Amino acid sequence: MIRCGLCGHEFAEEEGIRGCGSCGKTCRMVRCPRCMYENPPEPKVVKKLKSILKR
Amino acid sequence: MALFGKKAGSGGAEEQAGKRKKVALVGNPNVGKSVLFNALTGAYVTVSNYPGTSVEVSRGSAVIDGKSFEIIDTPGMYSILPITEEERVAREILLHEAPDLVIHVLDARNLERMLSMTLQLIEAGLPMLLVVNIMDEAERMGLEIDIPLLQEKLGIPVIGAATAKKRGLPEIRLAIATADRSRHAVFGYGRRLEGDIGEIASLLKGGYPLSPKSLALLLLQRDEEVATLVRRIEGERSGEIEARVREKTFERRGSFHLDLSLERKGIVRGILAGVLREPDQRRVTFNERLSRLTVRPATGVPLLLAVLYFGLYKFVGDFGAGTLVDFLEKKIFEDHFNPWVTGFIKGILPWEVWQELFVGEYGVITLGIRYAVGIILPIVATFFLFFSLLEDSGYFPRLALLVDRIFKKLGLTGRAVIPMVLGFGCDTMATMVTRTLETVRERIIATLLLALAIPCSAQLGVILALLSKAPGALAAWSVCLLLIFLVIGFLAARLMPGETPMFYMELPPMRLPQLSNIFTKTYTRMQWYFMEILPLFILASVLLWLGKITNFFERMVEWLSPLMAALGLPRDVAVAFIFGFFRRDYGAAGLYDLQTKGVLNPRQLTVAAVTLTLFIPCVAQFLIMKKERGWKVATALGLFVSTVAFGSGWLLNQFLLVTGLV
Repeated sequence: MIRCGLCGHEFAEEEGIRGCGSCGKTCRMVRCPRCMYENPPEPKVVKKLKSILKR
Repeated sequence: MALFGKKAGSGGAEEQAGKRKKVALVGNPNVGKSVLFNALTGAYVTVSNYPGTSVEVSRGSAVIDGKSFEIIDTPGMYSILPITEEERVAREILLHEAPDLVIHVLDARNLERMLSMTLQLIEAGLPMLLVVNIMDEAERMGLEIDIPLLQEKLGIPVIGAATAKKRGLPEIRLAIATADRSRHAVFGYGRRLEGDIGEIASLLKGGYPLSPKSLALLLLQRDEEVATLVRRIEGERSGEIEARVREKTFERRGSFHLDLSLERKGIVRGILAGVLREPDQRRVTFNERLSRLTVRPATGVPLLLAVLYFGLYKFVGDFGAGTLVDFLEKKIFEDHFNPWVTGFIKGILPWEVWQELFVGEYGVITLGIRYAVGIILPIVATFFLFFSLLEDSGYFPRLALLVDRIFKKLGLTGRAVIPMVLGFGCDTMATMVTRTLETVRERIIATLLLALAIPCSAQLGVILALLSKAPGALAAWSVCLLLIFLVIGFLAARLMPGETPMFYMELPPMRLPQLSNIFTKTYTRMQWYFMEILPLFILASVLLWLGKITNFFERMVEWLSPLMAALGLPRDVAVAFIFGFFRRDYGAAGLYDLQTKGVLNPRQLTVAAVTLTLFIPCVAQFLIMKKERGWKVATALGLFVSTVAFGSGWLLNQFLLVTGLV
């Protein structure tokens, strides 16, 4: 879950708007579907760590 | 959008689901539906647009007590009578997909406001479970909610929870597994309203997914989709129903919605009597008190200045750009790494031109990598750490409210605070986000101000680092930028015709930032940033090397020399401006380099920093300006920004020469 840093909206990473790439940058931020604020997604390392700890 | 008539669902996914029971999560936005959805489903989730709409719906699987369930996370809805497309989709799921259980998730802190929808769902005859979420925050506020009594009054299972803290999850799972759809209480409205509802409901003879009472109420509220459904199901009888609905709505014209809303409020108050106990004097938590202080101008502005002083000046400027850069750039690169790598490259590459490419004045390693790792990285690391801390505390929306009044004078609304705050991260992204502003006028003003006076994080970090060593310079730079931002915005608002639309923003609660969140966000931002800048810095070094060996670079510096002289700057500063064409932060790093070599005095440093901050946006931002506003507007804005940048630099230089302030 991502909690938007601006409006506080909680959304799943899949619900967020991914960088469209139209600015030519390698932006991997996830934009909040409610206010468009760009939020950093959880790094893969952290996701992996969490899944290991869950087991 | 006529959602009732068509086959909804997710095709193959639904077939696969077979006879799995469906559980739909409904409720207002921001009540923790998605948290509950994730807790129930784990990793087995699909997200797809609801057929015929652009609204995304998440579906997942859960096995509870040996039984398999399909869990659907519906878009936020405030009422069973839809207004937005999201609400239409949420209602369509309730009606067409006939869930075996509807879990209404509501916020314990706003029980009175949200319980009205629970009544509507019960009234519709849907199988219900009520989750009173965010109980932990409600308790902290001193609210007491008697969950067993609420359950008794509503006649449906009710669970108190704090899903973000995993509280109540076992009870919710158990309730899903043992759901009993036969029980629920019945609520009556006033005699007249009940009479009207009863008259319409008695005419509905077909089979519907909602109770006749609920349908009658929606018809009386002129719900077009329900009217279409009734026409389709009732056939010839629909004429009489429509005539009766018309008659009733005419009789109660103007007051029906108000009457219904007041009656529902009355019922909710009745239910909550004895259930909800608020302290005589509501306990104001520290976070709430702090939240109030941040949005009131009298306290909010000093607090903002304190945040900027300790966060940006002391932490980013003193620690990041001072201690860390001194260590990395001077101790590691200048004293050890660069001499070693220069010797190594010269040993294996006998040709001077190729040596220059890697370890020369503009070498890929001695300039590009040194800038990226030795100067930019420690500065943006401290900046992102500070930024993530503020972000996780919930300070940004309060900052938006604080500056909202000033923004209105610039022809913008509080909504424009979003791209402006974003601009301090990345101006390119922020320029794209201006499309969310309501009017073209607002979009142009916001694009102009972003291109002109909002430095991106890297540029801001480097400039703060540069200027923090000369406090007078930092004050002059800040005042200049603020003045230009306000004056240009104010003039743009006067010169461009149009009205400023309304804006309001819901404030999420302020909270103690979580260390794990801060480090995760900082790490992700740094990783993304470094991966983005490193290739660009290397490319810029190669181009500069090419420019040097072809003498093109020298000619550019020569060409810019009169401009530098007019600004009272040494000829070498032209190099930083040429760097700035590639990227804003690259230009700022160039300035940093010049300052450490002692080329600039404090006055020249201030003038160069102001001009470079205002200077033409980086290539990526310019391309997005062109994409969003078109060639004409983007070129006009680019020319205007450059003129203002050099004009302001010239004026500032004259002012500082006369006053000797810096």
